[in-house]
Amino acid sequence: MGSPGSADQVAKVLEQLDDAGATATLTMGRHRVDVTSLDKPLWPEARPAATKRDLLRYLAAASPWLLPHLKDRPVFVTRAPDGVGGKKFFQKKFPDAPAFVRSLAVFSPENKGAIDLLLASNLATLLWLGQFAALEYHVWFSRIGRGADGRSLGTDYASSEAAVEESRLNYPDFLVVDLDAYLYSGKEGQGEEPRLHRKGFAMVRDVALEVREIALSLGLSAYVKTSGKTGLHLYLPILRDFTFDEVREMARALGEFAAQRAPKQVTLEWSVENRTGKVFFDFNQNVRGKSLAAALSPRMHPAATVSMPLRWDELASVYPTDFTLRTAAEHIARHGDPWADILEHKADLGAALGAAGSEPGG
Amino acid sequence: MAERAIWSGIISFGLVSIPVKLHSATRSKDVSFKLIHASCGTPIQQKRWCPTDEVEVAWEEIVRGYEYGKDRFVTMTDEDFEKLPVRSKHTIDISAFVEGSEIDPIYFEKAYHLLPGDRGEKPYALLMRALTEKNLLAIATITIRKKEQLCALRPREGTLMLETLFYPDEIVATEGADISKTKVTAEEVKLAQQLITMLRKPFDPEDYKDTYREAVSELIDAKLEGKEVVAAPEHKETEVIDLREALARSLKRSRGSKARPNAPARRRTRKSTTGRKAG
Repeated sequence: MGSPGSADQVAKVLEQLDDAGATATLTMGRHRVDVTSLDKPLWPEARPAATKRDLLRYLAAASPWLLPHLKDRPVFVTRAPDGVGGKKFFQKKFPDAPAFVRSLAVFSPENKGAIDLLLASNLATLLWLGQFAALEYHVWFSRIGRGADGRSLGTDYASSEAAVEESRLNYPDFLVVDLDAYLYSGKEGQGEEPRLHRKGFAMVRDVALEVREIALSLGLSAYVKTSGKTGLHLYLPILRDFTFDEVREMARALGEFAAQRAPKQVTLEWSVENRTGKVFFDFNQNVRGKSLAAALSPRMHPAATVSMPLRWDELASVYPTDFTLRTAAEHIARHGDPWADILEHKADLGAALGAAGSEPGG
Repeated sequence: MAERAIWSGIISFGLVSIPVKLHSATRSKDVSFKLIHASCGTPIQQKRWCPTDEVEVAWEEIVRGYEYGKDRFVTMTDEDFEKLPVRSKHTIDISAFVEGSEIDPIYFEKAYHLLPGDRGEKPYALLMRALTEKNLLAIATITIRKKEQLCALRPREGTLMLETLFYPDEIVATEGADISKTKVTAEEVKLAQQLITMLRKPFDPEDYKDTYREAVSELIDAKLEGKEVVAAPEHKETEVIDLREALARSLKRSRGSKARPNAPARRRTRKSTTGRKAG
């Protein structure tokens, strides 16, 4: 769990936040973070409205469990200085970051050169991002950490696209599946995505269980979390033997298989019109540089929800809005993080596929 | 009458009491269908579901609730029902005798056979004979399944029938058909009466059959013979193999699409990039 002395640090930060007026300088060890406008509502429609102080409190309280999910992975944040409903920015680069913020130079084909991506490796970084009104924390599915399965992968992320393709950043830890029901509640505006409602969520849940069963039949573990919006995210941890391109194709095959088994529930259709009434199996997140909200990341949902890691046996009895900035940290402190061991349950997908998987290509 | 009695007790009037048992006298014969999940052929399960807690609810956890306002309930337990004052728990209390024609058919709800219970034959025979000769019905009350009901007893083909009756406030009032201003000519009435006379005959229920039910049964028989039967699937073990093949194929496809010389990383030869850390 988390960084050294984390519990102590967290308690001190919470105390400072509770004692502060509208502004404060939070100190943790040798790091200092200036925070302002603590009473500004960032989730104005939540009941009660959630302020920047609530966000920072949550980030601090959840950090022992949240930081391990961010560790060694490039982070993209969604900032909304005026809160949910206001303008939002998807931010990757932070040129004026303080010294405690780690970054990683990664070659970007669009820039024809390396750009610095953010790594969130300590509590100070989280609070600094929170001060910027970073409401969502998205991370890559690959990481620079070595682990047992990354030893033979490259660590040159900056010099060229070919180098990145050879590197750890091109070999994801998970096959990810993003499930969303295209079942409309009837309250959506023209062209709006379906909103969260019980029937749609129940349908997503059924499909998640189906996908889990398929994964288990291959010897893969499946981890589930609420997206914090309408759907569920499934992560299937795998040894880093396959590139994003390969994993994406396997995710597609998995989705096609699920759709064949449950044609009335599952669709891989691209046109939103053709998805209606079904759960969309999105395999297309398995791309280098794409990201989903991390486990325990807050979401820009009006109810100030959190993307909550779940045990499979609690899936039937929970609803996305059960887990918010106010409740999620306490829940995880009491019940533990069911995703804490996700990197320890990696499947050898190559072996599971037998000879076909180990055959050298090209 | 092989069916189990649904109620037993006594008919009581004056000083006479007659042990009797009650059996259903009618049953609906609709062809019954199970509900099947169309895509896989499995019978669906009905669950008592609580949408708030999102859990299935066991019978022990269920109480009855009276909705006195929108989404507002007074709950009632079994003990509450036991406390209610009910006069004739095991008694059919006769209060009056009336002529059959005095009861509008709309009041008749459901018919039961009343059979004599232990040592009840003699008073049973006596009551039936008296009713037959007087050509009268007995009006009484009976409590079946916690509900006190009005009923009529009448002899039919050597057996005493108990017909439950609706209470007057259970009959739906109607404003009636508004035909007071509709004119019909004497000629038209005469024609109608002629038609009626042509179709006039004694009522014989055997003349009537449920043709829809027969058609459904025929269709089911035809489907069974044509082997057009939806069976719940066995759990398919073979699919796993198909899935592995599909995944292996997809892997080859992605490797073929990009000229990348890599075998899975752990098995390939490494370039000398180790140790060079970017950023």
